[in-house]
Amino acid sequence: MESSFRRGAREGMRDFLPLSVGLVPWAIVTGIAMRSIGLSPAESMGMNLLVYAGTAQLGTLPLIGSGAPLWLIFLTALVLNLRFIIFSAALAPVFHDHRFMRRLASSYLLVDGMFAVGADKLQRADDPHWRWGYYIVPSVYCWLLWQLCGAVGVFGAGAIPRDWSLEFMTTIALTVMMIPMLRERPMWVAALVGGLGAVLLRELPLRLGLIAGIALGIGAGFIAERALAGRAAR
Amino acid sequence: MSEGLWLWLTLLAIGSTTIMTRGSFILAGEKGRLPPALQRALRYAPAAALSALVMPDLLLDGGAFDPLNPKLAAGGVVILVALRSRNPWLPFILGMAMLLLLRKGFGW
Repeated sequence: MESSFRRGAREGMRDFLPLSVGLVPWAIVTGIAMRSIGLSPAESMGMNLLVYAGTAQLGTLPLIGSGAPLWLIFLTALVLNLRFIIFSAALAPVFHDHRFMRRLASSYLLVDGMFAVGADKLQRADDPHWRWGYYIVPSVYCWLLWQLCGAVGVFGAGAIPRDWSLEFMTTIALTVMMIPMLRERPMWVAALVGGLGAVLLRELPLRLGLIAGIALGIGAGFIAERALAGRAAR
Repeated sequence: MSEGLWLWLTLLAIGSTTIMTRGSFILAGEKGRLPPALQRALRYAPAAALSALVMPDLLLDGGAFDPLNPKLAAGGVVILVALRSRNPWLPFILGMAMLLLLRKGFGW
């Protein structure tokens, strides 16, 4: 009889496989973008391994490239990764009966796509072996896909002429990531205030304008949500 | 750009945020719960941060506000394509094509 780990793994792969195709261009673009700011192939692959988070990688590249201070790079990466706290809270009960090393691996491998596809089933499944198979096999597959396609971008970037403004790929990638978030009006407000805030406050010392803009955006989104909810309730 | 050891430290610092956030509750191993107000506020962090990174690049040219620059035109193309098509390659291809056409073709 097939073990429940394997049944979980099979179902997880079936759910995650269609989505994973969309990761390929992202991994390649991230690879090219890392080279475009002057990282060596080893440093780029190192970043892919150490960070393994596309948004945080792409978002910090312009800051690394312009020589921003470490604390600003760290804070920006933290903000871009904050959403994972929500995912982690949602999945914590799923892994609470597993050993520490497994929980560490699950944490490192937790990506948006797997959460979106599998969180619901994981939360409802009773069998820990099934849950582990369902989560870890697609997650490792996703990691391999990211590293392999990332390497294609990292080593392929050398073939592209240097004066092709490749660093703009980062801006394109960040824009495309943002668009699906803007379905609700408070999200629009958060993005608009965050972006314009960063533009208007750019003269602040120590590049504080970026963090100030983000903080204003989060606050504005939250206030807009409350204001809209208040209007609907009346 | 930062060099050598400093750069690796930077990459390590960025990587630490991955483990810190993804592991926050999973590593604690308890059925922790986020206060609902905080959870809702956190939802706005990615959109605000992405926009704060993108808008200065699209609206500023050489540090000054410039609503008519090739990057903004290319950004407009990217937004239109991303809204209308599900093809993941197209925004990159058409956005870069627009920027290169304006910069190299028209010398803008």
